[in-house]
Amino acid sequence: MIGTRRALLWVALAIPAALMIQRFASGEALAMDLYHPSGEMTVRLMILALLPGPLADALGHSRFLCGWLAIRRNFGVAAFLYALLHLVFYVLDMRMIAAMLDEVVIPGIWTGWLALVLMLVPAAISSDRAMRWLGRRWKSWQRLVYPAFLLALIHWLLLDWQWGPALVHLAPLVLAWSLRFALRRPKSPSRSIA
Amino acid sequence: MTFRQNAKRSALAAAAFAALGLAVPAQADGDVTCNAGPQKAWQKMSKLKKKAWLEEWELLKMQVEGDCYEVYARTKEGQSIEAFFHPVTLKKLVVFRRGQEIYRADGFTG
Repeated sequence: MIGTRRALLWVALAIPAALMIQRFASGEALAMDLYHPSGEMTVRLMILALLPGPLADALGHSRFLCGWLAIRRNFGVAAFLYALLHLVFYVLDMRMIAAMLDEVVIPGIWTGWLALVLMLVPAAISSDRAMRWLGRRWKSWQRLVYPAFLLALIHWLLLDWQWGPALVHLAPLVLAWSLRFALRRPKSPSRSIA
Repeated sequence: MTFRQNAKRSALAAAAFAALGLAVPAQADGDVTCNAGPQKAWQKMSKLKKKAWLEEWELLKMQVEGDCYEVYARTKEGQSIEAFFHPVTLKKLVVFRRGQEIYRADGFTG
């Protein structure tokens, strides 16, 4: 049962990627045109992975939030996979390794690379086995997602120079964290590090 | 290391990165204005193909952006660029590379 649900979740998560790949393959979109959708999906999935922790802290462990917490790792891994897709489009757009190396020093570019590298760690230790093996340290490693998330927004901002999208994507987390600090439930201290 | 210390460190690191990133002078390409006037007087966008060819660019895409013509292209060195042209004079006004301004025509302030 859980297996089926998880499979359905992943089908849903894969649909936007399939549409992007289809648009590229059909020639309807250039690789360059897919930076934005793939990057945006990455950021949005990161938000889905990062929201339930502070929300559950603030609002208590409702059924809904418990369910969300139970599948948040899937969103995190999907975010990483979309970041990889974003990278694939980048490689397809740039074509030459030399051209990619040449622009690594541009702030809008290295922030993206660094965000991806930071995401690599939480993604690599996303399995149940890694979770058991790392025990309490697992959570601290997962927290690399926060700097990765901020870097991803900075990467976006430095390329587009539009404050709107970056702030819109930052807002849900700022709100959730504000709620966490304002309404923190003393009953479940163990969740305070989520 | 405790969780709290760790969280603090990550927050500090993120803030440091943020400061680094934003210390770059703002070079907005989101709102270039060309003061091009009514569209009736604009030249055909397809004329930019020749412009791009003369620059030895590989043309990727052309579009109207605000009141400017915008060209996405690759230079012969493989740099990915966005160039803005005046729709009436077809003059190259400003060129961006990955969010950074790399060319600006003399006297152009839009």
